[in-house]
Amino acid sequence: MRKPAIIKKVIFFLSILGPGVITANVDNDAGGITTYSVAGATFGYQMLWVFLPMVLALFVVQEMGVRMGAVTGKGLADLIREKYGVRLILFAMLGLILSSLGNTIAEFAGVAASMEIFNINRYISVPVSALAVWWLVVKGTYQRVEKIFLIASALYFSYVISGILAAPSWDVVLKETVTPHFEFDSQYLAMLIGLVGTTIAPWMQFYIQSAVVEKGITVKEYKLSRLDVIVGVIMVNIVAVFIVVACAATLHKNGISIETAKDAASALMPLAGRWAAEFFAFGLFNASLFAASILPLSTAYLICEALGFEAGVDKTWEEAPVFYWLYTFLVVAGAGIILLPGIPLIPIMLWSQVINGVLLPLVLVFMLDLINDRDLMGEHVNSRVFNLIAWTTTVIMIILTTLLVIFSIFPGLF
Amino acid sequence: MNNIITQGELFISALLGKKIFDAAGQKVGTVRDLAVLWDGVYPRVTGIKYAKGSQKIIGVSEIDTLDKKGLFLKNTFDKTMTKDLHEDELLVKKWLLDKQIVDIKGSKLVRVNDIQLSWLKRKDTFEIMLSAVDVGVRGLIRRILGYEPRIERLPLSLVGWQYLEPIRARTANLKLSEATDKFSKLHPADIAEIIEELDHYERPDFISTLDTQTAAEALGEVDLDTQVNIIEQLDSEHASRILVEMAPDEAADLLGELGREKSDELLKLMEPEEAEDVRELMEYPEHTAGALMTPEFIALDLNMTAQEAIDKIRATAHAAEMIYYLYVLDESEKLLGVLSLRELIMAQPSTPIREIMQERVITVLSGDDHRDVLETIVKYDLIAVPVADEKGRMLGIITVDDVLNTIVPDRKNLESFSYYMMRKAFGRR
Repeated sequence: MRKPAIIKKVIFFLSILGPGVITANVDNDAGGITTYSVAGATFGYQMLWVFLPMVLALFVVQEMGVRMGAVTGKGLADLIREKYGVRLILFAMLGLILSSLGNTIAEFAGVAASMEIFNINRYISVPVSALAVWWLVVKGTYQRVEKIFLIASALYFSYVISGILAAPSWDVVLKETVTPHFEFDSQYLAMLIGLVGTTIAPWMQFYIQSAVVEKGITVKEYKLSRLDVIVGVIMVNIVAVFIVVACAATLHKNGISIETAKDAASALMPLAGRWAAEFFAFGLFNASLFAASILPLSTAYLICEALGFEAGVDKTWEEAPVFYWLYTFLVVAGAGIILLPGIPLIPIMLWSQVINGVLLPLVLVFMLDLINDRDLMGEHVNSRVFNLIAWTTTVIMIILTTLLVIFSIFPGLF
Repeated sequence: MNNIITQGELFISALLGKKIFDAAGQKVGTVRDLAVLWDGVYPRVTGIKYAKGSQKIIGVSEIDTLDKKGLFLKNTFDKTMTKDLHEDELLVKKWLLDKQIVDIKGSKLVRVNDIQLSWLKRKDTFEIMLSAVDVGVRGLIRRILGYEPRIERLPLSLVGWQYLEPIRARTANLKLSEATDKFSKLHPADIAEIIEELDHYERPDFISTLDTQTAAEALGEVDLDTQVNIIEQLDSEHASRILVEMAPDEAADLLGELGREKSDELLKLMEPEEAEDVRELMEYPEHTAGALMTPEFIALDLNMTAQEAIDKIRATAHAAEMIYYLYVLDESEKLLGVLSLRELIMAQPSTPIREIMQERVITVLSGDDHRDVLETIVKYDLIAVPVADEKGRMLGIITVDDVLNTIVPDRKNLESFSYYMMRKAFGRR
């Protein structure tokens, strides 16, 4: 008699699953994979311990987004505009348009790089990918889009396979994951900041809350949504660990240094075999494509919420024209710019990093203020303990992001 | 001076942040927010929030003048001229500015970029109302810059406050009421077309904006699948109220399509009399005269005079589907004769009914196929035909449009101009 109840619960949970898992996984985008690869190749297993506190930080911040979406039925941009007025949200809006355009360009660069491993020219791979992500969102319903995003999230496990094929020493991996390890070496610190500083990005907070609202999750289902967030953040960190492990077990062991994720995939070929390299490259392609869809989507949601236009994947083009035009513009611009010859990718990335760094403290502090507003949240405001953890996370994230920004602008500072 | 009336309009963005001075020239504070009471069409300003963190307001009657330098009070400021914010009062900046405006379907349209105030100085007191919402880019730029943008080409887009519905909760969205009024003036068949065009999840919300009578009439016009879809989504209480208002034959058809459990639940919630009628109709198999008929007709007594008959019609006609044919029954409900409304009103008031009525009555049996019913109606050129059982007892009537609906069930592919017109009309004054 007990079994059916459990099955029912599992099915119900699967129906809630989505926003949390998707948002967390997009954290492992082209930029993230590059950082993890470089970290693994340069420092071996020494960085693995970072991922445990990262699980907590990601959970705390994303859970607040889900809770606000479920309780208020409004997106983060909605709430910020309604509480703090128009100037602030326009500032955030402009910043996020620029940074997510920069990131979208980088994602399409990831698409191009990964497909070049499979000998596919970027002038084919990038337009085809752009068309695919555009078609998916414009023609799809929310449910279908979410399913495809969830499949994309599952495909991240290609990195787990890649990591296993690289045959690491598991006892060391396990030990390093639970042992904090500090080194006051400038390169090590810079890597640490790079690793953690990109974990929480402002656009993620806007996306997760909008997705919760569009999915129609309410206070009743919200407890299960929290599980969605937990599954997401654990998943994303497992994948990240395996990327580091794959590079540590092969590249670091043989003293090969790399600069990009594509380098990592190419370098894996002779050391761990063709399959490991191809799984790695496929993972990069999947991650880039996935993020190339979510980033513009998140920005379109944000702008429409801020200005009060109808938005949503479930709407038709006639119902939400502004939303779809924005999405189209961002995808076309992101894919188009990367195809221009001689485009300076590194400065573009640098500046989106800087803008993110400026916006993140703002977004986190406003989130904390909003979630403690009884007029909005009623009994669902943060508890005292949660507030303590959330503020600590926020302060640490702000410090690390600021350091990352400073370090990006002045690379020789440390 | 006393009789001079001054009036004007200004935007709240220009007023917020203005310094407040009292009669002694002392600075009291700045305009932080306005308190309004939204009890009429236009919310009226009751006071000014002047200090940060404080919930006190200065009453609007204390204002003497307003100019570029600031806002001047009539008297020297002291604590007694302030009062607490009443719970019915709304703060404009906090609860109305930047709010989302949605249409009747709940679709997002725009945000409140700025709010226009109309002020009128009568005798010595200011009367300030919120007159319109600025939803345009011009309002947006004005808010950011803090002054009116000097771009001539940018049009001003205002939505008059009369088109907004008072908000129920402080955090709720602002709702356009313009369309709601228009809908209730439409013909039920036009509303039915709008319903059919909406997505299934939007339909219940739409139905909820109509009054029960209009909802029932409109629902009677949409196809059966849509009816079922809507009733299933509405809460049972509301659904049963609509069903009571519908013609019993339509209600019976609709309930027959629902699951057993749901239809029983709804029948229980309906008024017992109406529910009994509907339940009886549901007993008849589909496509029979019994399933098509309605028990709401006008029955007269053999011994009535014409005047008495007219009085009875006046009292009961509201519930009947058709009053042009009047049926004469005996105590056991056996059909004795029929007369038309024309025959009745042309007769002398004192004439007994038995002298006016025709004893030869065309009837159908409750088990007859609907095609036979149609044939009968066409052949004898009737507006309605009575339905009787084997013993000649009258059960109900079938009107010509009930039969027509069985041969022309759907009105699909008809352009619903009214709907498109309404969508286009939004946002313009």
